[in-house]
Amino acid sequence: MVIGIKDGVKLFGISVVCFCAVFVCTFFLNYYIDAQAIDGAVSGELRVLYDANMTSAKFTCAITGGVLCLIAVVMTVFYIKLFIDGNAKRFGILKAMGYSDNKIALSFWVFGLSTLIGAAAGYGAGHAIMPLIYREMTIDGMPAIAINYHAELLAALVVAPTITFSAFACLYAKLSLRRNVVSMIKGGKAAAKSKRRPLDKQHSFLAEMCLSTLAGKKSVVFFVAFACFCYSAMLQMGLTMSDLSSVIMGVMILVIGVILGVTALFMAITTAINANKSSIAVMKAFGYSDKERALSLLVGYVPFALLGFAIGTVYQHVLMTVMVNVVFADVKTVATYSFGVGYFFITLGTFIALYACAMAVYAVRINRVPIKEIMSNE
Amino acid sequence: MITATDLHKEFNGGAVKALRGVSLTIKQGSFVAIIGASGSGKSTLMNVLSGLERADSGTVVACGQDLSAMTDKQLNEFRREYVGFVFQQYYLLPHLSVEKNVRLGADLAGNKNYLREIEAVGLADKLKAMPSALSGGEQQRVCIARALAKKPQILFLDEPTGALDESTGRSVLDYIAKLKAERGFTMVMVTHNRNIADMADSVVEMNSGKIIGVTDNPSPKSAYEIGW
Ligand SMILES: Nc1ncnc2c1ncn2[C@@H]1O[C@H](COP(=O)(O)OP(=O)(O)OP(=O)(O)O)[C@@H](O)[C@H]1O
Ligand SMILES: [Mg+2]
Repeated sequence: MVIGIKDGVKLFGISVVCFCAVFVCTFFLNYYIDAQAIDGAVSGELRVLYDANMTSAKFTCAITGGVLCLIAVVMTVFYIKLFIDGNAKRFGILKAMGYSDNKIALSFWVFGLSTLIGAAAGYGAGHAIMPLIYREMTIDGMPAIAINYHAELLAALVVAPTITFSAFACLYAKLSLRRNVVSMIKGGKAAAKSKRRPLDKQHSFLAEMCLSTLAGKKSVVFFVAFACFCYSAMLQMGLTMSDLSSVIMGVMILVIGVILGVTALFMAITTAINANKSSIAVMKAFGYSDKERALSLLVGYVPFALLGFAIGTVYQHVLMTVMVNVVFADVKTVATYSFGVGYFFITLGTFIALYACAMAVYAVRINRVPIKEIMSNE
Repeated sequence: MITATDLHKEFNGGAVKALRGVSLTIKQGSFVAIIGASGSGKSTLMNVLSGLERADSGTVVACGQDLSAMTDKQLNEFRREYVGFVFQQYYLLPHLSVEKNVRLGADLAGNKNYLREIEAVGLADKLKAMPSALSGGEQQRVCIARALAKKPQILFLDEPTGALDESTGRSVLDYIAKLKAERGFTMVMVTHNRNIADMADSVVEMNSGKIIGVTDNPSPKSAYEIGW
């Protein structure tokens, strides 16, 4: 009733993010649990190898799994928040007709559904790839580690996130519905405290417009910056890990890093453009040129995108340094780490290209949409 | 019956006084037209009377219930139970087809026969169309059908024929009047067209947040008798 099929397509992004996080966690945790079963049977020389193997598994799992889960949680929460905030008008209309807050809020369980789809697929894929991982981690002379199914992992990685995100979405929806109906249907935005600074004469109208767009959509700005953070951190980490861990691990992490980073970037740019759709349409109707429109509305996000990218670089560098040189310093299987300048430039280059492409593609797509459609889809 | 007493409503911390002491009585089953200049507070008054918005001070008693004493939740239930609203800006749900938009209203009243309303406003051939593919007048008619399908006891219409041409306007008004006779609901309509006000039992005129005149109309005309 409240959430249409089109929205479901957008929720696909959440599924992808959840898929990546659950995928990695599934096979590593499963391996970790299964490997502990032979703990008692290992002794002597093998013990050293076994311990190193376990540490390596822990290491990869801690870094990638941890970062992935964090990213998945932040992205999902923000996406839900942005969705609800951006569609306040719809919910206002339903409220005006007399639909109860609870009834509207409950329809948000579908956010949990997209989590479920992603997590379940990730869990399945994690199991599918397990034989490969287990073989990769096998040590000659040691008892073979059998792949066992652990219900508690299913509960923790699939059931729990689904329930948590459904509950979060419903709860957040319920909270955001506790607003004045008229302001919801009219503006679609929470009655913002208008703390407008007096208009600075030095700014041109377009610069002013750009600033107020950003100020009015702080959560979009955050989302863009965060997505760039993810892309930057995941990609560089993946490239570095392919040197530090075994090849198969490195490749996997790299692939996940690329999928996740691109998805995040895609979601962020779509969100940024959708958030500005009506402004773009109005400016178009008034005859502003493509360039002026792009400058005033979309370019404002660029500094924040770069900031996110920079923080991502620093973050992964610090994390890797701490993990490799401090926490796992005495483990010989983990090589030393130093900042990958080459990887940095690869990441930066692809990032700029992707960002520019996505912006251009979407700006073109929006230009083709009739003004009326944009306005009525508000 | 709706009784409003000394309603005040300000916006922007008092910079705009939209209602400045409005008192009004609307009889059960009557048709009241509200006219007045743009910005005189008509929509604001309708919002307050229908429980969409709260006045800063003053009371509204509708269907025997004191709206001013209600919580938001109770107001919600009140609207669900009693109120139909045709918005000045239509406010259709953009991702739902014409049929589904109307069903949204019908479902609240358990009305299975909502196709009748869609036909009556002349949109039977647009059931599956999305709002963005409709003309302004068509959107307005969907909004009217949605409100009627909810079978309200009080129907608020904010400028419901603003986007309609004469012949469509007359036929829609005629249908609304017919339903009103059939179901006996109370009707409050804002209009800029004084001719349409001739259909009402009484006409309330507003100016800058106040009621400046109430004229009873002993012989209301039908939709086809009024001028346009
Ligand atoms: N949410 C709001 N915030 C600030 N001012 C408001 C708000 N809603 C209405 N107003 C102001 O209150 C006054 C009355 O508005 P209202 O919408 O009731 O007028 P109206 O009589 O319906 O006008 P119209 O015929 O143009 O629809 C106007 O001056 C308007 O600017
Ligand atoms: Mg109005």
